[in-house]
Amino acid sequence: MPGDSPRVFPVDEFVKEELYPGYRQAFGSQPFVAGPVRPFSSRDNERYWLRDSLHFSEGMVPASIATLDDAQTWGAQLGAEIVGVPPTRGSVNRLAGTHVYIGTIDVDTQWQVQARAARFGAYVSPVLADFGSYWTMRAGELQAAYEHFDNLDLSVMTVPELWAALRDAYAFHRRAWFIHFEVMYVLTANYLAFYALAEEIGLSGSQVSSFLSGQQTFYSRTDEELWRLAGLAKSLGLEAALTTGSASDMRARVRALPHGASWTASFDSFLAAYGQRLEETCRIDTPSWAEDPSPALYSIGAFLAKPAGFDFHAARAAAVAERDAQIEAARRAVNGENLARFNAALASNQAANFAWWNEEHNYLIDRRAAIPVRRATLELGARLAADGQITDPTDMFYLFKPELFAVMAQDAGASWAELRAMVPDRRAYFEYWRERGPSLPPMLGTIPDTVPDPIMIEVFGLSGRFLETMRGETPADGPAGAAVTEVRGFPAAKGVVEGVARVITTVGDLHLVEPGEILVCGGTTTEWTPAFGIIAACVCDTGGSLTHAAIVSREYGIPCVVGTAIATRVVKTGDRVRVDGRAGTVTVMAP
Amino acid sequence: MTDVVDLGDIRGADAGQVGPKMARLGQLAADGWRVPDGYAVTAAALDGWLPAPARAELARLFTGPATGHRDAGHRELAERAARARALVESQPLPAQLQDAVAAAHARLAARTGRQDALRVAVRSSAVSEDGHAASFAGQYETYLGVSGVDDVLRHVRKCWASGFSAHALSYRRRFGGPGPAGTEPVRVHDLAVGVLELVDARSAGVAFTLDPVTGDRGVCVVEGNWGFGESVVNGHVTPDHWTVDRAAGQVRTARVGTKLTWAAVNPASGRVGLSPLPDDLVGAACLTDDEVRYICERATAIEAAAGGVPQDVEWTVARGLPFPDSVYFLQHRPETTWSASRGSSSETGAESGSVTIPAPATGEPAFDPVRYALRNVFKVPGT
Repeated sequence: MPGDSPRVFPVDEFVKEELYPGYRQAFGSQPFVAGPVRPFSSRDNERYWLRDSLHFSEGMVPASIATLDDAQTWGAQLGAEIVGVPPTRGSVNRLAGTHVYIGTIDVDTQWQVQARAARFGAYVSPVLADFGSYWTMRAGELQAAYEHFDNLDLSVMTVPELWAALRDAYAFHRRAWFIHFEVMYVLTANYLAFYALAEEIGLSGSQVSSFLSGQQTFYSRTDEELWRLAGLAKSLGLEAALTTGSASDMRARVRALPHGASWTASFDSFLAAYGQRLEETCRIDTPSWAEDPSPALYSIGAFLAKPAGFDFHAARAAAVAERDAQIEAARRAVNGENLARFNAALASNQAANFAWWNEEHNYLIDRRAAIPVRRATLELGARLAADGQITDPTDMFYLFKPELFAVMAQDAGASWAELRAMVPDRRAYFEYWRERGPSLPPMLGTIPDTVPDPIMIEVFGLSGRFLETMRGETPADGPAGAAVTEVRGFPAAKGVVEGVARVITTVGDLHLVEPGEILVCGGTTTEWTPAFGIIAACVCDTGGSLTHAAIVSREYGIPCVVGTAIATRVVKTGDRVRVDGRAGTVTVMAP
Repeated sequence: MTDVVDLGDIRGADAGQVGPKMARLGQLAADGWRVPDGYAVTAAALDGWLPAPARAELARLFTGPATGHRDAGHRELAERAARARALVESQPLPAQLQDAVAAAHARLAARTGRQDALRVAVRSSAVSEDGHAASFAGQYETYLGVSGVDDVLRHVRKCWASGFSAHALSYRRRFGGPGPAGTEPVRVHDLAVGVLELVDARSAGVAFTLDPVTGDRGVCVVEGNWGFGESVVNGHVTPDHWTVDRAAGQVRTARVGTKLTWAAVNPASGRVGLSPLPDDLVGAACLTDDEVRYICERATAIEAAAGGVPQDVEWTVARGLPFPDSVYFLQHRPETTWSASRGSSSETGAESGSVTIPAPATGEPAFDPVRYALRNVFKVPGT
């Protein structure tokens, strides 16, 4: 709507002075590059804010706000500074209640853009020249830290020792997130250069991530192991126990069956190797798989429930063959100098592959970096609860890191009694906002025509079309015009299917998905991956070519459309829909 | 051979002193081709250039215990490279060499009749550059539009220092050659520098005496853009593209490229840089059919003079001169050498054997993701 006044979704309803009841951030309490996590203020109406349901679907407890601060806020800002990303100083976060919105800090003067561009060239060139060694070094650093933290016997530590371990865990968490963004900006630039080159030489940029698919990652190995465990269960006659009943007592029920103990032994060794993952990034209030294996059991059940079965190896081989065929077709379509450029860009991206790293780093950073914080927090919480300082070990999740640090350091004015008293209100506050989560608007503030940060476009899906769709939205009542029957998005994985839609707004409801259904959701993360073995197609409100759903759909060979902005509100569970993953359309069929 | 040699005194056999690029250009001039006039500072003159304290400092930078290791941090490598470059650029050339350059420059100004208005290109000319598989192509800099002796001297030092970029050092670490861990840490390269009159380019590009994609030797291929040739050899544009039937001497196919930028003289600085192509030139072919046929005919003659080995040739059409006097040849190389070096310098080897496009001599690898991202993704002006 060029010429119209800018579209604003007011933040006013969420404007607050306090982050949580009884917690106001002290000025300068965090040494930030550009700005810490804050509540909305009325000035935030002037900028755009995207709900990050991609990473954080359920809201943040106070303790997880410290880990969020380290990650998407501080980590991104420092990474963008160090790497010298020209158009952006990284991301910045606001909370609506307990829910995370992400914005970017645009670089808006030419001098800064030029200075950053010079830094960017000097920094990124040597990294891309030998990405293998570079990442091996970073991954080695992370693994060494996990070895240290995993081997700490917290149960024998004194309270001062536990507090030191917690401080170590926070320091490591922050470091891990700096590595995350340092590497991510480098790889994204490599990928986006290939993307732009593809467009320039007459290929489609949307093909580029398929050229890079089919790589073995830690998560694809996890899925393969789950698939093997499903096969083992089938051969041992344990299918029924794994596909019915609740996950919470499933393990006990399986163990009681004939052969059940041998299967659970295999399952336990799987958890020892693959269980160090939290349900959501930064969410130290969620258990790891090792603590609560329900998500893994659900995945196994999903593999068993697929009527035709699912052949992991065949899907992989097909994905690799499809990738190679696409590369060959592209090579035939370009020639001369452009072929040399294509080959060089492909080689650079094969050596420093965002699509591969996206999954690999989820295991090494996103889902794991907060586990040492969680373990030390809970153990310390158990001692404090035994001493009567708090009521329950999980009360620790409802204390902000600066509050905990102040009281542990016995700062003047910090008292356990005061903190303890606030916990019930904060628990209620979290629950209140958790309920409201699914109804929060996907964007707040002023919707721009375009965003300059390419990472927001490719990872979060803020394409021009997405923004245009958002500008056409009425803030409260869903899409303008009730009779929308087609939504458009980014064509993330090719193929056309028709099927019954299942609209899911939180990963906790993933077990509702039936085999053969079309998953319609805000966005997916690693925790959603098991569903890809049973669904017929995937449709997301958010996302671009580099998002999880796009990458995983290609690996599983199902059509996928992302960045539709409104699919979860246009499509209803039970609707018959047609997904065209090449055209990027989702059509609601006449009943 | 003296430290500084006029182009008229350079022959093909002098490659060991002035690098194959300048040697071939000298031979072309001697054979009566229109080439830009100039002179070369020999590799030997520059080899003995750095004073002992600077050599010691370079040795310290690249042989310390931290960087002696293969996995030395990239950031540290970049920092050390930057310090090495700054150090090298700051060292004055020996007075005797400065005098020799000044004298050669004065002779060139007189020969061209341009005197103080003379503008030149200062080009790195690696002695080992063309002959090796991992040829360090694109590791050295070229500076266009330099004027005045002081500026020339400064850019001679910059050319030599460009061998110390982190990129070049990292490239050497991967593909061999004396590097930070080598036995000869200071003398990282054998580099001559060519100083050539800057031809006021209307259009420029390359010509191949075979189809570089299919290997068809029945055709010549010409690619070009408006302005200086850097936009073509560095891959900034999809150039205009012609194939010419060698036997018939007729243009067989003509395709106008998507040319949105060109390399042109910035009126403010006098230097050549990339800028948006003026609207009236976008979509217009940069050569007439007569010019295309003439370039192919001349390239074919160069191939014959080179013993029938397929060649790629850089050409420039000068502004304000009558055709065909307007057509200059800047350099040529055996095409097969480049085919082989492309294949073996590839990281994956995936494209070996199938790609025969020559890499630019003084530009970048076929695709530099960093430069491309700055230009086409982040859209940073001037990149």
